[in-house]
Amino acid sequence: MTKTLLACALTLVAASSPSLLLAADAPAKGDAKAGKALVYTCGGCHGVPGYMNAYPNYHVPRIAGQNYDYLVAALTEYKSGERAHPTMRAQGESLSDQDIRNIAAYLSSVSK
Amino acid sequence: MNKLKTAVSIGVLSIGALAITAHAETLSPEKVKEKAATCAACHGADGNSGTEAQAMYPRLAGQFHDYLARALHEYKSGERKNAIMAGFASSLSDAEIDALARYFGEMPSKLDDLSRHEQGSD
Repeated sequence: MTKTLLACALTLVAASSPSLLLAADAPAKGDAKAGKALVYTCGGCHGVPGYMNAYPNYHVPRIAGQNYDYLVAALTEYKSGERAHPTMRAQGESLSDQDIRNIAAYLSSVSK
Repeated sequence: MNKLKTAVSIGVLSIGALAITAHAETLSPEKVKEKAATCAACHGADGNSGTEAQAMYPRLAGQFHDYLARALHEYKSGERKNAIMAGFASSLSDAEIDALARYFGEMPSKLDDLSRHEQGSD
């Protein structure tokens, strides 16, 4: 009887707090160490001082030290094609969601 | 005749120089700061999007100004889609985009060059 009541109470709590459920569903933060190995590729453009995007011309952005959530969002948007950039789209497509979280974890860990 | 040519050339050059000067002076530092106040809600007054609530937004401080300007132009044109940024960018002139990009680009940064953080380094 006590168990049944407890189960009912827990169900009510869960139902009334969608944020709790969402928190449980949110993927764990990426692994910075695994991300560091993947970031080698990014260095081909983002690690070359003064490197410019061509047509149109602008500096490729600084990404070391950028916010984790933003990096995950940006790479995910490149992967889906929602954010259009030929080079970054190709990079995004080659990455799993876990890879993206790992890369974001490493890059965000090296903020100044 | 040569004198006339010279005079005309100087006249044309002066008008050109005036036009360039006028373009560069369209935004006062006060005006830029006033415009940037809108950005601060999400990107922080220091441009570093440093609070927990701002973690989903990119740090702007110390980012390359030409990249920031490009991003704003893409939001304005709709090439880059973001409901919040589209609203802000659509109201900005080219001069305002350039001024805001430089304003944030010159702020003390938490961003770093990736070249210092590749394999074999920390």
